[in-house]
Amino acid sequence: MGGPVHSLHEFMLRTESITYILIAAALCAFVFFWRFLSERDDDRDHLGADRPGPGEGGHGAH
Amino acid sequence: MQFPKVTLERPRWTPFNIVAAIVVVVGLGITVLRFTKGLAATTNLSDYNPWGIWIGFDLLVGVALAAGGYVTSAACYLFGLKRFHTAVRPAILTGFLGYALVVLALHYDVGRPWRLPYPFIVQQGTTSLLFEVAACVALYLTVLFIEWTPAALEWLGLKRARNLVVRLTLVLTIFGVVLSTLHQSSLGALFLIAPSKLHPLWYSPYLALFFFVSSIVAGLSMVIFEGALAHRYFHHKMDEAHRREADGVALGFAKAASWVLGGYFVLKVVGVAQADAWHHLASGYGAWFLVEVIGFVLLPCFFFAIGAREKNLRIVRFTAAWAVLGIVINRFNVGLIAFNYHLPSSERYFPHWMEIGISLFIVTIGVLAYKFIVSHMPILYAHPDYEPH
Repeated sequence: MGGPVHSLHEFMLRTESITYILIAAALCAFVFFWRFLSERDDDRDHLGADRPGPGEGGHGAH
Repeated sequence: MQFPKVTLERPRWTPFNIVAAIVVVVGLGITVLRFTKGLAATTNLSDYNPWGIWIGFDLLVGVALAAGGYVTSAACYLFGLKRFHTAVRPAILTGFLGYALVVLALHYDVGRPWRLPYPFIVQQGTTSLLFEVAACVALYLTVLFIEWTPAALEWLGLKRARNLVVRLTLVLTIFGVVLSTLHQSSLGALFLIAPSKLHPLWYSPYLALFFFVSSIVAGLSMVIFEGALAHRYFHHKMDEAHRREADGVALGFAKAASWVLGGYFVLKVVGVAQADAWHHLASGYGAWFLVEVIGFVLLPCFFFAIGAREKNLRIVRFTAAWAVLGIVINRFNVGLIAFNYHLPSSERYFPHWMEIGISLFIVTIGVLAYKFIVSHMPILYAHPDYEPH
């Protein structure tokens, strides 16, 4: 990827730049991935099954 | 609560028992050879390749796949996800047996196994990563043993001792998570000492992080995989709560595994970017690296997500086995295949059949021990005389 590297500065500039772009892309992708993963969950799944659902009392299942 | 009892007479010479008996007999024979004739007679290890499959498979894979213990107990006791409670005991048992067998395998691998306690009582060598791994594995094996003892004590009817150990659950869980974080990552960090020997696509300053994050995947996948096997072969031993909660455990862990695998994939790509190793992807090793990262990280991530989203247990269980295989491949790649990649093929390592025999022997002992414990102790059901903890 890219031309030859002649100095440590060039190496760091190239690798860190690519890493920052990758991380930014991954963070954006994770939002869509999370939506894909959980859009079919009902409300109770979003809360977590340990928490009481609407109309349920108590401190959750144990 | 109904106490599950089986009165049916089961045939003694099943195909599984026959194969297990053959493996154990052959394994015992090789054990005698190993401890009378030495490593040279039973292995293909050399100065170039001092670590073979007894480290690459029995130790690296064994420790990773035993991670279900800390992952499940952390989810249940630290994060308060009590719906995973029924998965804790089987996961702790698998972890305990896994670590016990890792230590057993080490006795075969090290030249003078009677010196294994030396780092603790003779010379510490605290600057060595191996010392940290040894200390953590020894301590964590002890923790897992104590975490497993309530089941054994319930089986033995020692109520007071069992109640005493149960009070330690939270402390042991915290201790277990700390120790696992330390040594799972240190096993990867061991390879940082060999930057010229490990292929650049696998070598990374983040190796410790790779090993730790992938151990979480291994733990989650193993709990799903083992749960599926237990459902199939020990269904009669499960009580109502275990049967009811098993599907929720598999789906919840699949969702978590999908999320962690996604993060692991990003970390692996960042590892390549940081090393500027893109050009290596066009080589033979590069193709194999892509098989590992796409075929055994990205695709399982996607299929776990599909399985969790569609609530499809078949996909989840199949993907769990797939992800477990991916962890095995990753540890083999780091420990054996991409290690010493620069050597000519004549100097490369391929395991002796006796090394494979001992590895099979150790796995078989683990399966037999699991079978015995699950058949006799309250692992897949709650003992009716005791409160769940």
